[in-house]
Amino acid sequence: MSNGVDNNRRHFLTVATSVVGGIGVAAMAAPFLASLRPSARARLAGAPVEVDVSKMDEGERITLSWRGRPIHVVRRGEDAIERLGEIRDRLRDPDSDSSDQPEYAKNEYRSLKPEYLVMVAVCTHLGCSPSFHPDPADPAMGSDWPGGYFCACHGSRFDLAGRVYRGVPAPTNMDIPPHRFVDDNTLIVGEDAEVA
Amino acid sequence: MQNKSNQGGGTVGDWINDRLPYRQFVEDQLTGYYAPKNFNFWYFFGSLALLVLVIQIVTGIFLTMSYKPSADGAFASVEYIMRDVEWGWLIRYMHSTGASMFFLVVYLHMFRGLMYGSYKKPRELLWIFGMLIYVVLMAEAFFGYLLPWGQMSYWGAQVIISLFSVLPGIGEPLAIWIRGDYLISDVTLNRFFALHVVALPLVLIGLIFFHLVALRQTGSNNPDGIEIKENKGPDGKPVDGIPFHPYYTVKDIVGVGVFLALFFAIVFFAPTFLDLFLKPANFIPADPLQTPEYVPPVWYFTPFYAILAAIPDQVGGVIAMGLAILVLFAMPWIDRHPVKSIRYRSFLYKALLMSFAFGFIVLGYLGLKPATTLYNELALRFTEFYFMFFIISWVYSEPRSRNYYYGAFAIVVALIAVIDLVRDMAGISWIALLVMIAVTAFFLLLPAHTRLNESKPVPERLTS
Amino acid sequence: MMRTIRKLSLSALVLVIAAGSGAVIADEDAVREWRPSAANNDVTNLASLQRGARYYMNYCLGCHSLEYKRYQRIADDLELPEDLALENLAFTGDELADMVKIAMPPEDAEDWFGMAAPDLTLVSRSRGPDWIYNFLHSFYIDDRTVAGTNNRMLDNAAMPHVLWSLQGLQKAHYDEEGSFVGFETVREGRMSHEEYDRTVRDIVNFLDYVGEPIQTDRKRIGFWVLAFIGVFTFLSYLLYKDYWRDVK
Repeated sequence: MSNGVDNNRRHFLTVATSVVGGIGVAAMAAPFLASLRPSARARLAGAPVEVDVSKMDEGERITLSWRGRPIHVVRRGEDAIERLGEIRDRLRDPDSDSSDQPEYAKNEYRSLKPEYLVMVAVCTHLGCSPSFHPDPADPAMGSDWPGGYFCACHGSRFDLAGRVYRGVPAPTNMDIPPHRFVDDNTLIVGEDAEVA
Repeated sequence: MQNKSNQGGGTVGDWINDRLPYRQFVEDQLTGYYAPKNFNFWYFFGSLALLVLVIQIVTGIFLTMSYKPSADGAFASVEYIMRDVEWGWLIRYMHSTGASMFFLVVYLHMFRGLMYGSYKKPRELLWIFGMLIYVVLMAEAFFGYLLPWGQMSYWGAQVIISLFSVLPGIGEPLAIWIRGDYLISDVTLNRFFALHVVALPLVLIGLIFFHLVALRQTGSNNPDGIEIKENKGPDGKPVDGIPFHPYYTVKDIVGVGVFLALFFAIVFFAPTFLDLFLKPANFIPADPLQTPEYVPPVWYFTPFYAILAAIPDQVGGVIAMGLAILVLFAMPWIDRHPVKSIRYRSFLYKALLMSFAFGFIVLGYLGLKPATTLYNELALRFTEFYFMFFIISWVYSEPRSRNYYYGAFAIVVALIAVIDLVRDMAGISWIALLVMIAVTAFFLLLPAHTRLNESKPVPERLTS
Repeated sequence: MMRTIRKLSLSALVLVIAAGSGAVIADEDAVREWRPSAANNDVTNLASLQRGARYYMNYCLGCHSLEYKRYQRIADDLELPEDLALENLAFTGDELADMVKIAMPPEDAEDWFGMAAPDLTLVSRSRGPDWIYNFLHSFYIDDRTVAGTNNRMLDNAAMPHVLWSLQGLQKAHYDEEGSFVGFETVREGRMSHEEYDRTVRDIVNFLDYVGEPIQTDRKRIGFWVLAFIGVFTFLSYLLYKDYWRDVK
């Protein structure tokens, strides 16, 4: 059967057709996989959210939704801000080196203004939403509790800047979304601040 | 091919093959499956039908991810797919174009079977499974067409479901049972969705499996209609056969290339295909209070729809339409002529089959058009011819005496006349009646007096 | 200025038209023959689409929503800067992420016109661009209707001639047998025939785009897809020919 057959040519054509066909299949797969990304509706639903923080008391928290995720805005008092500096050695990542936040929030307060924490309140362990325990005297949290977050799912603890404690399952601090202040009273979640 | 048995050692392929005998499968189904070497253009459509099935299943799965099967949300969710989902428009157009291309390919595949006698012994079951696939495919398309929830979707479904209500006694309860409501509603849409995306695709895949198993048992027919298994060489392989792989796989790939070029030309440049694949009225959301001026079905149903509309009696029309589909199932027992391929059939049979195909296309065209006196008359006559095809095929099955032809002629003319007697004859009807009698005479009197119905000798071996 | 026209109350419009029709003096020489023609719009013409969008928002959006269309998508596709788009297209209170909805409650529309004005997102697909083009050209004065006008393309159209201030008002003329011949302008609009024709074509163009926003991209992508399939088919044909040299 192989009389007069140029096997090189046949081999070349087989490879060439297979490669071009393979590229075609891969190219065809691309739009199908891309169709699973967030649609225009989902992307635009992630539009920035405006918050009025003028009426917040110290220790108060506002919950809002941005891109479908719970965002907590917490107004921290003077002493709460002070306590953030005192517990460094109990934290896994006190300087947020391996955590997710905008550059301007990579500080001890993990926020643009020390007074306001803006945080995606989702535990970095397995995605539960931790409960808010701002009171240092909270009897349920133990005697040396400086105020913070506790995830009931697997017992992870975070401070009032969303920084994770050592010895709990959560690997990193909770995420900080992009945010900026239009003026002293108006916060926008979902837009980056311009930092000099 | 030697059978490698390997105890320990060997390749990964060996390891797998010892547990899952894929090499045997490839040997049986591809490299060792001998197909006639003379397949022509008409033999592409089987593999192309499989390709379209894959396209429909894949695009369908992705559409399901964004589609909402509810009366409130369906129409908007289709526009959501067309506008907000990345590449959603491409997936949707591929699915809508795929539906039409599925029928195009299947019709050509069926016509191939009619031309080369592929339904004849020993392939009767192969044909019947093919017909079942065709019927299920029609149901699948019908259910799917409701899903966009446009005006055509709604009223098209309304008309088809109403067909059931003409059945005496059980008709109306049956139609209500199908709808699950007194009109087409959210409930109907939901069940059609379930049938379209789960139930019928499963049935379809099962039937296709049996169709292929039956094909492997008998082997493919070919344009000469000669059984290659009856002429084997000393090695036990058919002399006129070649291994399916690589010869027909590489050939089918060329067919796939040409088909995809046509398919994507439609998808990208004419997705509505002159308003045949996507109808303008279906861009208006379904409105149960307002019927569009004219509700033609999608093109692939129109030949049968024309038959339905041609019969001037409601129950009669529905019966004629059902019969038009059912009679195809009986094709292996209607045409029992020993010569399979049209190549060696008589001049008259060639003329008959070509006229049948032409008539089917004309019926398809008439089904798209609003009724006029002329169109009604044409639809009726071509419907008569549609059924005449089967009667004449049966008459042609074996040599008949001169008197037999006379008798057949008289019976067919009488049948046509009876239909004309029970309806109102317009002026044009008389001319059409005369034409019908002339056509009948052509096919049933010429064999009695000429040699035009003599077959040619069938060669021993495949010709090319 | 244009916003004011949109807000002009309907009854006032009808009054004006009625006044116009009173002043009609038949002049057979002034009759322009009219029959439906092709819109000949070009959806790749960005400037035309931008004008069309502005006309639509000013004259049509009072009643006709585009409920499957986002402002954002219009801004992106028509290459309008976001702030400009927000200012020129979206009404106060609408965000770019919103669909193009109308403020008029459907019940009001039913009170005024006898029916809710249809959504026009897909009108170019259900009616076709040519139909819209001819529709917007063929309003004529008809005292027998509530709106004071009628339309050659849609008999007893509930919609009044919203663009009358641009086109002017015209009267339909019929021959002895009563078949339609053409229109006679009985009151000049602010635009010449050519200007009005261009305006209508822009609106039609915009609606054509809105009906299928992807249509321009789709053809561009299609070209490359077909070119690729061409290469693949050619290669597979060579492969097929090569293998089939075995088959005698």
